[in-house]
Amino acid sequence: MRGIEKQLAEFKAAGVRPVAISVDPPEVSRDLCKKAGYTFTFLSDPNAEVIRRYDLLHVGGGTDGHDIARPAEFLVDSARVVRWVNFTEDVRVRARGDEMLVAAKGLR
Amino acid sequence: MPDMIQSHRNWALWLGFLLALGALLCNAVFFVNPPGKRAIPWLSVLLAGVSLIFLVRGLQRAFGQPRVYLGKILSSIVALVSLLLVGVAIFSFFQARAIPASAGAPKVGQTAPDFTLADTSGQAVSMAQLFAPAADGSQVVPPKAVLLIFYRGYW
Repeated sequence: MRGIEKQLAEFKAAGVRPVAISVDPPEVSRDLCKKAGYTFTFLSDPNAEVIRRYDLLHVGGGTDGHDIARPAEFLVDSARVVRWVNFTEDVRVRARGDEMLVAAKGLR
Repeated sequence: MPDMIQSHRNWALWLGFLLALGALLCNAVFFVNPPGKRAIPWLSVLLAGVSLIFLVRGLQRAFGQPRVYLGKILSSIVALVSLLLVGVAIFSFFQARAIPASAGAPKVGQTAPDFTLADTSGQAVSMAQLFAPAADGSQVVPPKAVLLIFYRGYW
């Protein structure tokens, strides 16, 4: 996320809008954004409905044993077509900001 | 300690301990988020494996010639601590990979499912709205694409 925020201007220049989604309620995301200084869009999916729609549900994956999303990134164009995806095999290995920017720039 | 003149350091055992420590500590690298970090989990496994080899060697020496190489009790303690470190490293490796397969997730070329979710101010935002120019004028040109970043949450 820090990588995204750092390169936000470049994402904008590439015409890409980052949107973060998790089960965190809006208040929690608001606090996170305030503390970490994130200025891009954060959306809340508290019942994991959308997460399920994207088949990203990780049952009991949260620290308290609650259902969360497994990490994944999708680049979706204005026709709602998926142009790039990233699935990690290891939760600690996340796509870096520059990797996602390369994908963003590759969009025609 | 008797026979001090004849005792040698059980380097195999201590190397095993250091490698075990390395296997666990290389996970700390994730906080720095370097490029090439995909290799780190495997490096951790490699260090753990090599550590075990040296621990066995070290124990063989200690039990074979306890007067020369440390003592049986001390080397057992070092080996046990090292084994614990290796255990934690291997456990972390498998825990981090315990991710669902997500075979049904949209692939490149497929249509991404539509949605409407609340933003940080509690306002409902649809996917179509994400592509619209921003209401506050911060984004005059509509985006060509959105980058959906699904994350675990509860940070």
